[in-house]
Amino acid sequence: MSEAPHTVKSYEEELKNLNSNIIKMGGFCEEALGKAIQAITTRNSDHAESVIKDDEKIDKFETLIEQQVVNLIALRQPMAIDLRETVTALKISSDLERIGDLAKNISKRTLLLNENLPKNLVDALVRVSSNVQKQLKSILDAYLDRSSSMAMNVWESDEKIDDLTNLCMQEVIKYLKENEKNLDDGTHLLFVTKNIERIGDHTTNVAEQVYYLVTGEYLEGDRPKGTEPIVTGEK
Amino acid sequence: MRKNGVNMIKISAKNVDVFYGKKQALFNINLDIEENQVTALIGPSGCGKSTFLRCLNRMNDVIDICKVQGEIVINDFNINDKGCDVVRLREKIGMVFQKPNPFPKTLYENISYGPTIHGMAQSKQEMDEIVETSLKKAALWEEVKDRLHEPGTGLSGGQQQRLCIARAISVQPEVILMDEPCSALDPIATAQIEELIDELKKEHTIIIVTHSMAQAARVSQRTGFFHLGELIEHGSTDKIFKNPDNTKTQDYITGRFG
Repeated sequence: MSEAPHTVKSYEEELKNLNSNIIKMGGFCEEALGKAIQAITTRNSDHAESVIKDDEKIDKFETLIEQQVVNLIALRQPMAIDLRETVTALKISSDLERIGDLAKNISKRTLLLNENLPKNLVDALVRVSSNVQKQLKSILDAYLDRSSSMAMNVWESDEKIDDLTNLCMQEVIKYLKENEKNLDDGTHLLFVTKNIERIGDHTTNVAEQVYYLVTGEYLEGDRPKGTEPIVTGEK
Repeated sequence: MRKNGVNMIKISAKNVDVFYGKKQALFNINLDIEENQVTALIGPSGCGKSTFLRCLNRMNDVIDICKVQGEIVINDFNINDKGCDVVRLREKIGMVFQKPNPFPKTLYENISYGPTIHGMAQSKQEMDEIVETSLKKAALWEEVKDRLHEPGTGLSGGQQQRLCIARAISVQPEVILMDEPCSALDPIATAQIEELIDELKKEHTIIIVTHSMAQAARVSQRTGFFHLGELIEHGSTDKIFKNPDNTKTQDYITGRFG
């Protein structure tokens, strides 16, 4: 937010409130992702169940933010930085909501997995997810600090996540091929891996929004992409 | 008129300073006004936007203590030159004011007055045509065609303002200056004037001073922001309202001023 406050205090309050709701919603998403990953790596069903239950909170934030944005546009006609605050809040909230959904989906699958997963798979998952968690934290910090350079960093590091996702997929595919009994767990793990990668994509979307919010410019050019995804048909 | 995808410059203000007695009201204004575009001038009260507007048809001449320096070039001619014929100038550059100010005469006479003094009609028939065309362009014809010989002051506020616009365009000006033309009108009359502005820009270059930021955003393609007698920023309207370069502009349009 700009340093000088608005002449109309209630308008100032409404924008501040919108901003703090995004930050709170982002905090819940960070927590959901953290717990979902912990649940799958430490086999903690309580964590998984609480992620599933708490997703409702994140959904409610999305509805609240949408209402606040509609009210601001209808009643305040925001301009310039205020307009960008308002519009990006709407878009960021919908990416955060998806992140919440994906964390919930990971948790649902966690509850269906067997107790003992091979260590190499867990390690591969942790490598992707710790990067994604770091991204999510960075982009929420970038939003809070109105930092376009931090947003740019997050945007650029999506490539690494794509590469780690592919490595993790390869491990899971190997695991699937080892034994027919691995079919259930392996399939869930493929989806879990994909979900984590999708969360990374949503943080990249948020990075684009933060960059636009701060600079008024769109991040141009193609998104950095990792190596092409490995398809299951490979030898 | 566009040449190579770039709008032609209709008016070019160069290093314009204005003084009221010892007090300087405008400081070194440099602004190009594009042809067949609507340029909005915004800024807080006393910022000099109306003073600047009044420079463009030398309305400041009527104020004894007012002194204008610098060049205002219209069609390659500096209107501040001694040789400038102010009556011809105001034929080319019409003006519409904040409060509708029809002459206390009939509708017909309100429109025919300008064309008469400029000798634009040779016959009654030609004058009838000018009156009809002007009222049609001002989107007033249908409402008043059966009462052309009634007093102009008998119309509603919005109709009176459109009458004043019809009066302004009756002498086929190249430029129309509007000083808060909607501030005395209701939202419906305002929308009609805004629609009219959109139409008129096809044939005229329009400069509008407005206190309504939303109106500036709606009607103009170019916007200039004045503050304390300086032109702080000017550029395309969408740039000014989405992502202005200057902090003062941003503070003003977002309501963070003072």
